[in-house]
Amino acid sequence: MIVCVAVVGHQNNPLYIQSFTDADDALKLHHIVHCSLDVVDERVNNPKKSGPTLNETFLGLLYPTENYKVYGYLTNTKVKFILVTTDLDVRDADVRNVIFQEVPCCIC
Amino acid sequence: MGREVSESCIDSLLIEMVSTYCNRFYANKPELAARRIEAIGYQVGHQLSERYTMERPRFSDHLEAIKFICKDFWSELFKKQIDNLKTNHRGTFVLQDNRFRWLTRMSIDQSPENGASEDPSIMADEKAVESMHLYFPCGIIRGALSNLGIPCAVSADISNLPACSFVIRIKA
Repeated sequence: MIVCVAVVGHQNNPLYIQSFTDADDALKLHHIVHCSLDVVDERVNNPKKSGPTLNETFLGLLYPTENYKVYGYLTNTKVKFILVTTDLDVRDADVRNVIFQEVPCCIC
Repeated sequence: MGREVSESCIDSLLIEMVSTYCNRFYANKPELAARRIEAIGYQVGHQLSERYTMERPRFSDHLEAIKFICKDFWSELFKKQIDNLKTNHRGTFVLQDNRFRWLTRMSIDQSPENGASEDPSIMADEKAVESMHLYFPCGIIRGALSNLGIPCAVSADISNLPACSFVIRIKA
């Protein structure tokens, strides 16, 4: 289940954050999104040159926390899309194809 | 992203925009009119680059971004690519389009009329009007490149119509 979606601009300014849980942990989700921005910067500056992932827009699983998984997507204009989900058996390919095809299209 | 308009509408809109800014809004201040037109182009380029870079992998360096402008971006806007790209490898790029689409409807009056004394001022006026029409595409290029993270200055050169060159200077 997706608990949070965030769109962050190119100067790391939040453009849109929406959490989809009933519980009162919106602040914790904001904090997770904020921490994941550092991971995005690290992935961009130290690319894993060994794989075909050098200039991919989809960054994959950024980091797993105790009960969430965080995925990231970076456009050419440095707009970042962050997705926080509690699904423990979701696959990268599903996230990439289903979600990150549609969401950037809606922005333009 | 499925709405379309006819190309003649775009042509008319651009011609009218330049004429309004030069003759009505900033009637005796061509510098201000040029800056406003270029700012409009900046906004348009900013948003268009967001839309056209969506599906592609990220650019590794400035040359990749300029090549994107020359090929994909230019084909989306003008249905053709830039004909010639030159660079001095030190931050200056010259993009040459041999038949710039928005200038094809502009007349080139090259017949020398009677009286050589009138020619220079008339020709200077014509050049000024033509250069006004180029501030908008310069702004588009500048907006697109700044959205890709490359601050730059863009100017246009119309020494031989209908060919047109855009000079991009990347700010270090």
